[in-house]
Amino acid sequence: MSETSLLLRAKAAGRDILLPMSGLREVVALAPITPLPGGPPGIQGVVLYQGEFLPVLDWTALQGCPARLESAVAMAVLMPRLGLPLEGLTGTLEAPEEGWSDPAEGDPWAPILAKVCRVGGEELALLDPDHLLALLHRLRKDR
Amino acid sequence: MDPSFDDVWAECEDLFAQARERLATLKTPQPAHVVQASVNALFRSTHTLKGMAGMLGFPRFSQAAHRMEDIFDLMRQGRLRSTDSLIETLESGIQALESGLAGLQRGQPEPDDYLHAIRRQLGELEALARPPDGAVLDLTSLLDLPPDVLKALSEYERTRVTAVLLAGIPIHGIRVSLELATFDERLRALSEAAGAQGELISALPLEAAEGQDGLSFLLLVAAPILEFQGLGAGPDEALEILRLADPERIPASLRAAPESPEASSQAAEPLQASPPPAAQDAEVLRLPAQRVEALEARLMAVAQVRDTASQVLRQLEDPDLDRPRAMMGEIETGLLEVQKSLLQMRMVKVESLFQRIEPMVKALSRDMGKPVRVSFQGGELELERSLLGRLTEPFLHLVRNALDHGLEGAAERVAQGKAEIGSLKISASQRGRNLRFDIRDDGRGFDLARIEARGLAMGLLREGQVHTAEDLHRLTLEPGFSTRERASQISGRGVGMDVVRAEVVGMGGEIQISSEPRRGSLVRLSLPLSRAVVGCLKVRCGKQIFGIPLSHVLRVQASPEALRGGSRAEVLGENLPMESLQACLGLPEPAQGQRLLVVLRQQGASADASLDLALGVDEVSGRAELLLRSLPELAHAPGIMGGSLQEEGILWVLDPEDLMGLAMDSLMRRVAGV
Repeated sequence: MSETSLLLRAKAAGRDILLPMSGLREVVALAPITPLPGGPPGIQGVVLYQGEFLPVLDWTALQGCPARLESAVAMAVLMPRLGLPLEGLTGTLEAPEEGWSDPAEGDPWAPILAKVCRVGGEELALLDPDHLLALLHRLRKDR
Repeated sequence: MDPSFDDVWAECEDLFAQARERLATLKTPQPAHVVQASVNALFRSTHTLKGMAGMLGFPRFSQAAHRMEDIFDLMRQGRLRSTDSLIETLESGIQALESGLAGLQRGQPEPDDYLHAIRRQLGELEALARPPDGAVLDLTSLLDLPPDVLKALSEYERTRVTAVLLAGIPIHGIRVSLELATFDERLRALSEAAGAQGELISALPLEAAEGQDGLSFLLLVAAPILEFQGLGAGPDEALEILRLADPERIPASLRAAPESPEASSQAAEPLQASPPPAAQDAEVLRLPAQRVEALEARLMAVAQVRDTASQVLRQLEDPDLDRPRAMMGEIETGLLEVQKSLLQMRMVKVESLFQRIEPMVKALSRDMGKPVRVSFQGGELELERSLLGRLTEPFLHLVRNALDHGLEGAAERVAQGKAEIGSLKISASQRGRNLRFDIRDDGRGFDLARIEARGLAMGLLREGQVHTAEDLHRLTLEPGFSTRERASQISGRGVGMDVVRAEVVGMGGEIQISSEPRRGSLVRLSLPLSRAVVGCLKVRCGKQIFGIPLSHVLRVQASPEALRGGSRAEVLGENLPMESLQACLGLPEPAQGQRLLVVLRQQGASADASLDLALGVDEVSGRAELLLRSLPELAHAPGIMGGSLQEEGILWVLDPEDLMGLAMDSLMRRVAGV
């Protein structure tokens, strides 16, 4: 199984998502998040990760995200040093060869998705970490 | 780049740092054994660099290092004496190799010759130091000049005189009298004209003949023939060509280069003096940066365990645990010391950056004929080693620009009522989360009118719009604005400034430029410190603890009554504006007000022109030395310099200058009722 085709399946902001394993440092238990007063939009605070501060994404800053979220239990650490709180972990799967489509028109998450995949009757959204970071930069710039 | 070679790169960087230190030692008078120890160390460093470059697969670098090694070898054998000009050449060589190494690390291809800029000097040194039997020659006495003029020749000029005579080239003198008002321009023109016919060895000032106005100079030129017509002399300049030395006059015995008694004794002395073991030859342990990082992370994990243990102990209300609690305090102190030591390993003094710049300023000053007094401040501050390497090139660029375009020649300065010698001040200071570098000259400043015209012509500015001085200064940093061709048409500055900005921004920093016509320019670089130990006052606001750097804390006092943001506070007879820390940071302000006030003063401001402000906090919980870690780019927040891990969790260290700005904004909003 090649690393590039391996995907992490998880639940975040009430949605089933896929994350490319090649873009992840690791998945860790979520440590208490320290809020950052006046911090940039899209960042809820920081956690200590390997001796350094790691900014943690605030899903509620993204359009189409429920205002109240379930408690996160884990955190996926992206390569460019951003923590994504996860409400649940399902496991890993190899990227299916078929069943991929573009995000539905009007999907508020479309700017941060690479594709959408249907697996076993369920629709899974493949997150594009680069798009997510670009969105954060834009939010920060617009503030 | 192959990560397995990381430690080799790191070792190369260390070797360069050591070489710079050794060369700096040689610049001041030292006992013979110290000179010899330094030269030996430099020889070993270049030898090691040669081998490492070979290992890394850079044959040209290896060749260049070998050439430098040869020069140090000649020095340690006593065949070359340590002189100012020699040390300057060697500094240039080491600097060229270091810049080359930095380029290779960035993936740039190998240049043809790393030592291109000093090839001529190296050739001469080698030629002089390696006559057939190793004797060192000085043929300046063959010049038909009075002894006091001969004495004025520098060591380098002496080596040149000897070299060209040995090469069979005669040396001519051009005696000329120049008007005071224009002598610098004329001297430069004559030097260029003479240089076109041969090699200009020196331009010596002479005492003016009686009854003669202006300044007299003697130019030493090595050339088979020197033509009067090609020199472009003015009618009143009394230009005269002299034949100063003929290679035919070199004694046959000297042409065969026998060993003179003087040279022999010079050569023998260092060899006889067996150098004692140098105290400064301390063992250097080189480690890849990743190992230190891993150690830091591990230490952080240990600190977390310590915090948990400390909390558990505090919860147990048992008097028998007083001693374990005290021991826990000692562990905490010890851990902070270890963290500080680890931090120290990554840091170098700013002075080492200055050491790289100084020789270049001297060389440029000499080459351009612009006398410059360079001064450095803040060399004792520290910055991360990784930043040092990245800063060198932008600094050299800025200094080159200041000398080339900013500072005027001596005559122009005098005509403007300025001191004849230009001033270049380079200072470093710590400002909040930033290390700030100021490069200030007292030259002509930026020609904003021309910059504006160029900006309009290039379509970077719009006709009819008002462009402030700030806009125009900033324009010089724009990519594409400062090509060589364009810069040559602008009498101000701007050559490659976009490259400087790109490098500074790449380090997370900022660059600002300001200038005043005929008074000078200031280029300011602000670079974020990623780690530092900061003495702080710990304060609580709501549920969070913050650190306020003590450098800005003027006083802590309790108010007789609770105050709310926007009110005034009486501090030492002064009526100061008061703002709540919560309001500054966008947190909910306590409804009951605050009684504890931390009085901040803007750093550097004098007592009579200072900006003081009272900051309301919920609790003052003491002072501590905090190991500051910077925030990642994505998490930057106004007013926050960085964070530090404490028992209570992450503590935010506030940036006092930012904080005062936030407080003033908040007070203004209150006044405006927004």
